[in-house]
Amino acid sequence: MKREPFARRLAIVAVAFSVAAGALVVLALLAGASPVDALGALAEGAAGSRAALGETLARATTLVLTALGASLAFRAGVLNIGLEGQFLAGAVAAAAVGPLLSGAPLVARAALLAAAAAAGALWVLPAAWLEARRGVPEVLSTILLNLVAAAAVSGLVRGALQDPAGDYPQSRALAEAVRFAPLVAGSRATAAILIALALALLVALVLERTPLGLKLRATGLAPAAARAIGLPGARLRLLAFAASGALAGLAGGLEVVAVTGRLYDPFSAGAGYTGIAAALLGGSNPLAAAASAVLFAGLGAGSSAMQRDTGVPGALATIVPGVLVLAVLAARARQMGNEP
Amino acid sequence: MAFRWPRDARDAGLALVPQHDLLIGAASVGDNLAFLDPAAPFFESAAARRARVARLAKTFAFELGSADTRVDTLPVGTRQRIEIAGALASDPEVLILDEPTAVLSPDETAALFASLRTCAEAGGAVLLITHRLAEVFAGADRLTLLGRGKTVKTCRTSETTPEEIGGLLLAGADIHPSKHAARSAAQHPYENLVLTDFTPTGSQGKQISLSLSPGELLVLLAIDGNGADTIARAIAGLEPFEGDVALGGVRLPGRGDPLAFRAAGGAFVPADRREEGLVAALSILENLALPDPPGRLFLDRRAMLSHAEARLAALDVRASSAAAPAGSLSGGNQQKLVLARELAHAPRVLVAVHPTRGLDLASAAAVRHQILEACRMGAAALVVTADPDEAQLFGAPIRVVTRGRLSAPHAPATPVATLGRLMAGVTG
Repeated sequence: MKREPFARRLAIVAVAFSVAAGALVVLALLAGASPVDALGALAEGAAGSRAALGETLARATTLVLTALGASLAFRAGVLNIGLEGQFLAGAVAAAAVGPLLSGAPLVARAALLAAAAAAGALWVLPAAWLEARRGVPEVLSTILLNLVAAAAVSGLVRGALQDPAGDYPQSRALAEAVRFAPLVAGSRATAAILIALALALLVALVLERTPLGLKLRATGLAPAAARAIGLPGARLRLLAFAASGALAGLAGGLEVVAVTGRLYDPFSAGAGYTGIAAALLGGSNPLAAAASAVLFAGLGAGSSAMQRDTGVPGALATIVPGVLVLAVLAARARQMGNEP
Repeated sequence: MAFRWPRDARDAGLALVPQHDLLIGAASVGDNLAFLDPAAPFFESAAARRARVARLAKTFAFELGSADTRVDTLPVGTRQRIEIAGALASDPEVLILDEPTAVLSPDETAALFASLRTCAEAGGAVLLITHRLAEVFAGADRLTLLGRGKTVKTCRTSETTPEEIGGLLLAGADIHPSKHAARSAAQHPYENLVLTDFTPTGSQGKQISLSLSPGELLVLLAIDGNGADTIARAIAGLEPFEGDVALGGVRLPGRGDPLAFRAAGGAFVPADRREEGLVAALSILENLALPDPPGRLFLDRRAMLSHAEARLAALDVRASSAAAPAGSLSGGNQQKLVLARELAHAPRVLVAVHPTRGLDLASAAAVRHQILEACRMGAAALVVTADPDEAQLFGAPIRVVTRGRLSAPHAPATPVATLGRLMAGVTG
């Protein structure tokens, strides 16, 4: 991946945002509402009040973590498209272990989140093994594992993990003491977002400033050269697979502990896939990817408000991230093409 | 005239043979030649494609391989011949060739020049980019000498001499290293490199047994596709092999393990510096820090910088800044950067494949000098080259590789014509 000068990057982002805003205006008009009202409601719903901002941050937690998982994997040359499945694996682990814990909340939470991260890392291992030993492209195997994970969640909440107190397809709720409390009253945002943002800094630091990060980047940029130079490519790839899966698993765990309190079906609204989109928008740079994830979370939170206030279907707002990513990728490709 | 697409240039009668071929790896030889042929019909039978390959091989006296072989399985030499044959077959009005003979045998070079002459006599213009003086004076009517992006001299070849141009080209570079630099009689308990009954897996060649002492250099001379580069890659752990390879008494696993080769004191300069030698998108600084970047928790930037400054100065790598991407360097400086990294830790064995291919004379001389210098410091070196002139310049024994078999050692002073016959497999 080529480093772009800052001004050019800024130009790309500006163009992409204009395209996305344009798309939203057109969509609002198609839905028969005033674009000004629709955009106003969107902004209001994303960041207009403490509750709105809290909603955005609560949604951002999972997206930031899956975007980090995708960025880390992509930088190391591992195309992990299975963050959705690893996210679900983490959520299952948290929902399975959570109700058993009641002791000191801090210890219980740490154990829960460790279990979720481990589950995410384990869920990616079959794909890593198939790739290393049999040359199976990880794009295929990780995507297929997503389907397995979704089916497993569906089965578990109706079977082994089902809450015996009711007939709903959902697991037992976590004890209130274990769950995260809101950071400020009247907001859904919890300390989970702080964990996610701290991890964004950590991943950026590891990739850019540590010997391990340099080796991972070298392996991702030029696998053949990395091998010839004497980098342990297989081990580095495995590490990237596992770390990426752990981040997605942690996202699943935090979703259960901080937001839902239990597992149900269907559990994910595509957090894994949106995380990939955020990583692409951020050029696989951990901090830019995290910022993109917060942006997407804001769009998600705002679109619900837009639907409520102006009648523009909220689903339309989900078109925007897609348009945004495509616009950025196209702009980047064009800039690259213009280079001598 | 401005061309928007390569296709426009081709339609205008211009053909280019690039230094690194642009064939489609996943397609067959026959398909690639059809793509290069503007007159090829849209639908064509496999038999017609085979016939085209056979016709071109015969017309231009080139070995093009089987029409059904996938191009990415072929060695660079054959790929270059396919590219040249495709360009010549299109009857271009203007034909541009960039270092076309780097991977050709002397006989094939002669055949190529005959074809170029035919093309010129039929009214075409041929522009040849080369660093080989002999080719200029054997084939060209006019020459333009470039140095650092500027025209140094332009004239008819009949108005000048190889000596004059050679003098202008070198401008201070030392291309004839001392013949004795590569000899050092330091005694070690083990030989640096010992091959016993060695063959790269899948090679049809004979088992190879040889040993190199500290300071010893051996040149393997071969036309591409004869397995010399596979031998080098297998020693470096990039291909599996049968038999035994030992570096300083340490045996390497036969499955192909570049880490074991490195751990035993091996250094490797690959044929393709852009694909295997460097990480083009990383900075010069970062490339020099691989594979073991300094620093415990965080990268030790200061150590990286001082190491890079020392190595860049030692090899005279000309870069705007150590923070510039390695890919932004010129070919010669990229190759010097590879050597700067590989020779940083006084290797026991240096394996170098086509180390000077495509470099200007001064850079090539510098690269040879560094390899000989490494030998003087106690390394054993194995150099693979396809260029008999180049082979002689190392002042070391030359073994010619044909179909995976090694000839007896020849003295560096062996005439180029003799080496050429050996390379082409002509005995006697």
